[in-house]
Amino acid sequence: MPWYLYLAFKQLFPTGRFPFFTAISVLGVTLGVAVLVIVTSVMGGFGYEIRRMIVETEGEIDVKARGYVADPREILAKVRATPGVAAATPYAKGAVAVLAAGRTAYPMFRGVDVNSVESVTQLGRFVNPRSSLAALDDDSVIMSSALANSLGVRIGDKIEIYSPLIIEKMKSDEVFLPREFRVIGDLYIGHQQLDSSTIYGTVRAAQDLYGLGKGVHGIYVRVKDGENEHAVVARLNATTLPPTMRAFSWMESWEDFLWVLNLEKSINFFLLLFIVIIAAFSVMSSLLISVVRKTREIGLLGALGARARDVALCFCAQAFIIGVTGTLAGVGLGFGVLAIRNDLVHGIAKIMQRQDTLRQFYQFSDLPSHTLTSDLVLTVVMSIVISTLAGLIPAWRAARLKPVEALRSE
Amino acid sequence: MTRGDPVLTATGLQKFYQSGDRRIEVLRSVDLTVAAGESVSIRGESGSGKSTLLNLLAGLDSADAGTLAWGGAPAKASRRAVFLGIVFQSFYLIPEIDARANVLMAARMLKAPGAKERARADELLQRVGLTERATHLPTQLSGGERQRVAVARALMNSPQLLLADEPTGNLDEHTGDVVIEMLLALCRETGTALVLVTHNVAHAAKTGRQLVLTNGRLA
Repeated sequence: MPWYLYLAFKQLFPTGRFPFFTAISVLGVTLGVAVLVIVTSVMGGFGYEIRRMIVETEGEIDVKARGYVADPREILAKVRATPGVAAATPYAKGAVAVLAAGRTAYPMFRGVDVNSVESVTQLGRFVNPRSSLAALDDDSVIMSSALANSLGVRIGDKIEIYSPLIIEKMKSDEVFLPREFRVIGDLYIGHQQLDSSTIYGTVRAAQDLYGLGKGVHGIYVRVKDGENEHAVVARLNATTLPPTMRAFSWMESWEDFLWVLNLEKSINFFLLLFIVIIAAFSVMSSLLISVVRKTREIGLLGALGARARDVALCFCAQAFIIGVTGTLAGVGLGFGVLAIRNDLVHGIAKIMQRQDTLRQFYQFSDLPSHTLTSDLVLTVVMSIVISTLAGLIPAWRAARLKPVEALRSE
Repeated sequence: MTRGDPVLTATGLQKFYQSGDRRIEVLRSVDLTVAAGESVSIRGESGSGKSTLLNLLAGLDSADAGTLAWGGAPAKASRRAVFLGIVFQSFYLIPEIDARANVLMAARMLKAPGAKERARADELLQRVGLTERATHLPTQLSGGERQRVAVARALMNSPQLLLADEPTGNLDEHTGDVVIEMLLALCRETGTALVLVTHNVAHAAKTGRQLVLTNGRLA
């Protein structure tokens, strides 16, 4: 080991005494990195949960029609036969008005084909075990739990649904009566927006509400395991679909939302990086103090034959070692906190009696976490680079010291 | 290099400091040649420029005029670790590492120490009577022991020239005597030339040649 690395280690972790200055410097980097890991993982978790909910409720690809497809049978068969497609199911959906027990809500009515929807989505997983999607008929619906609660509707109750078609009918002085449905179950997805404003019924019920005849608004598609969804989307658009239809991956369908989410994550990362930069100033400060305290030792090193650049490397190495140690400890601490994040959040919410607020404002009942390797690598690299850069000024000052002057210093 | 060949040749060394408009001439014109294996002492009053001269001879400071050669070749900082050993009044041991590691530090300047260098460090520590204290930190050693470690460190790379700047200045008389005897004996054994800067007339008398620095000149 070159002398400057040896001495860097020895100065940071001296024999026989607690390395107080080193511990403070390392702790600063550790805390900064831990916060970065926690925040990027939680933000990544939000993205991951949203992906999970989208894919599990709408499939990986959404084939949308311009307007609607009057007869989807032929195109559905073509989509199912497209290489890479594992399953496809038609849907019709739109906003409706719901009247129940004198209360009104305006949720999204999602009409699904009960025979094929579970081959594409995992909706059944979210439905209350007392009911099932297979039990849906053209006169029944399953409501999201928060919507049912807000309307005061219980399983077995009847509700009335008005579609926007009523406006068209009114223009031509026709009377359009609301459809009556029986609530046969509720479902809980875990996303506040979906849980508070969604009704699932059959695709035929949706067709009636929107006057689509046999038509549908689109087709949800699941791709085969190992298939790239973007490749399948490209294949569908190029060879399978007519010009009036277009396939979108779940990422394209939710592009704006995901962009905002990613932007939030990037801004958070940028802002929190300042914690690491502040920690780097702490490293710089400690090393500058070290240069002053060890001025005569630096002079001695020169007298022993050390080159100025090796003296500089000794201090840069110390900053690097602090950076690496602090970063590794920070990653460990970050993952440790992430492991108990829900206990912490629920504990705090319980103490403040705000469990419902958490769900209402943050969409999820649990704090999600998903650490992307790229985020982790970026955090680790940035932290080590910034910490090492913090050693440059002390290193420069140490290298500038002339041995004879350093040895004379008091 | 054989005994008698010059290891140090200083010719017309001058050093002055500027204090406002005043020019303080510390060394006017110093000529000094030290042969291999020779021991030379330099005495002088406080402020006479002894330490300044030693720093010039060690290449730690630059002269305003004159030339300096080590072993017949111009003195260069890059040759210092191989050619020179230096002992200072204030020991200057590295506090974070033990006595043995301090001695090995001189070898580390050249390359990562192997078994040969470790054996040499142990041998030197034995020669200065510190085998039992090899794993002690500088703070656990007395002043005399620290200076003995510094002497062992100065001899670690088997230098041809050892420069000692008031090595007994921080020691009591008895300990100082012990250190000087040891320093002279080690230099004799290893054939290392010695330039000893000291106040102590008795210590200076033990060297082969005694010089006095007066008015910026050696005599």
